[in-house]
Amino acid sequence: MTTEHPSPADGGESRAPVRLAARDLSVGYGNRLIIEGLDLELPAGAFTVVIGPNACGKSTLLRTLARLLTPRGGAALIDGTDLHAQPTRELARRLSVLPQSPVTPEGVTVADLVARGRQPYQRWFRQWGSEDSAAVERALALTGLADVRDQSVEALSGGQRQRVWIAMTLAQDTDALLLDEPTTYLDLAHQVEVLDLLRRLNRDGGRTVIAVLHDLNQACRYADHLVVMKDGRVVDQGAPDKVMSAETLADVFGLGGVVVPCPVTGAPMVVPDAPA
Amino acid sequence: MKTGVPSYPVAGRVVASAGPLTFVLRRRAAAVFLLLLALTAVAVVLSLGVGSTFVAPADVVRALAGDGPFTVVVQDLRLPRIVVALTVGTLLGLSGALLQAISRNPLASPDVIGVSQGAGFAATVVMSTDLGAAWLGPFALLGGLAAATLVFTLSWRYGLAARRFVLCGIAVALATKALTEIFIVGADAIDGQRAQIWLAGSVAGTGYPEARILLIPLLVLLPVLLWAGRAMDTTALDDGVARGLGVRVTQRRLLLGVVAVVLAALAISQAGAVDFVALAAAQLARRLVRAGRPPLACSAVAGALLTVVADLIARTAFAPVQLPVGVLTAVLGGPYLLWLLVRRTP
Repeated sequence: MTTEHPSPADGGESRAPVRLAARDLSVGYGNRLIIEGLDLELPAGAFTVVIGPNACGKSTLLRTLARLLTPRGGAALIDGTDLHAQPTRELARRLSVLPQSPVTPEGVTVADLVARGRQPYQRWFRQWGSEDSAAVERALALTGLADVRDQSVEALSGGQRQRVWIAMTLAQDTDALLLDEPTTYLDLAHQVEVLDLLRRLNRDGGRTVIAVLHDLNQACRYADHLVVMKDGRVVDQGAPDKVMSAETLADVFGLGGVVVPCPVTGAPMVVPDAPA
Repeated sequence: MKTGVPSYPVAGRVVASAGPLTFVLRRRAAAVFLLLLALTAVAVVLSLGVGSTFVAPADVVRALAGDGPFTVVVQDLRLPRIVVALTVGTLLGLSGALLQAISRNPLASPDVIGVSQGAGFAATVVMSTDLGAAWLGPFALLGGLAAATLVFTLSWRYGLAARRFVLCGIAVALATKALTEIFIVGADAIDGQRAQIWLAGSVAGTGYPEARILLIPLLVLLPVLLWAGRAMDTTALDDGVARGLGVRVTQRRLLLGVVAVVLAALAISQAGAVDFVALAAAQLARRLVRAGRPPLACSAVAGALLTVVADLIARTAFAPVQLPVGVLTAVLGGPYLLWLLVRRTP
């Protein structure tokens, strides 16, 4: 699954697989719990996709694993230790996160935003080193943004902008990458472009990638490991062809239809029932 | 393979290093900083020369060196007040830049979020009692800090919520202003007039004792400000993104906010509520540098420049009548604010 020889474009570094897990995890907003007593172990080094209907808690889970949310009970673990107990800067060198549709700061160029990914390595008295430059150049090359490096992020298309954010998380130089609906608001071509990039980062770069996705067919096509959630619980998980079935479709999404092999990849493909 | 100082990947910025220290400098910000500094020096020389006795710029420079017939006029009569104007402007410029960066809102400034109004209310209360003028500064400082504390508390939602911050500030500012009006109406006529001048903001009659009160805290806060110049970059980012980068966003925003409020409350406690300088200086500097958020050092100098120029005009435009400097900054600032609002509408 993870290649022993990362591509030269990725700097030839070998990355340690990251084991993320939840133990008896409860998370909520205000006095409402979204996730209650959740246990989950995500495979290290894999491309994991979390799916489920709206408000099932998939984003809440991802944001908790990225310490953007604090658990009410239980713990989120990275390689067996409570990740909320770790210094946030140190964690930022292990794990990077791209929240859903982040607000683009005004008047910032592509290279400027990508360079901010080096934040976890900087001190006010040591603001830049050659390894920082190398990481930024690597991130720009991997995402194919070198040509637009001096352009304003605001002026880019939605697909390019999303690649800039991904490049920023790559400049962070982490072993794990968490993304909350990275394809939302993108047209199909740009969705495929982003997902292909994530797959490459996982296969060639050896990064552990965890994403929340809405599109079931894309989830089945790209994921090594699928996690299906409903009402704050994990209903099923495993390889897409083991997990995705007409029953899952009916039970989890309340949707009638069939699951057939994709004519291109052979991955499960969801075809909903004919319209009434 | 490369040795020495690495190049910074963003155009127009360079890495400067001194021993183990490395800093990222913006070429444009450095140029704007020097330009503003030069303009401020020119404004100071002009301001030192203009008044009931005109002193030519060359004589002003000589007088500053302690030479020539105008030493007393320049050094003893005019310089102290201008030093206060410079310091007040610096503090307000810093405050505006910090507040705008933490709230991601170009309208945030001490006079929009209630610091000036809180200080004004406290000052009015002191003036309507038997307490002497010596109590004015300390009470105004406390009033400004109290209003800011209220704004911070009201806008707190699992952290300092950027959008709520400015809205709560405007609400507190309006309410405090109304309370002040009630006080002035209730007080006798002379106190009311005195209060109005104070509320407008004026550096008339101030000198080195006032400047010292402002400069000492500024020096103490200098290390924090050096750190803040860079820390503001991450508060300008989306909260989730900044947290993902290992930044403790809530603590950082609160610390920068407290520094901003303390600087503004200090300035206002000595010069009254000088309007719009904080807002305009930060935006002026941001536009000149073409940065995403207000550059801290340039905002400080822009604040000093604006205040000295405004004070010069306020002092001389209707001579021998002296306007409070705050009246002039308000007259200039109003249209500027409108322009800013109109321009931001797509």
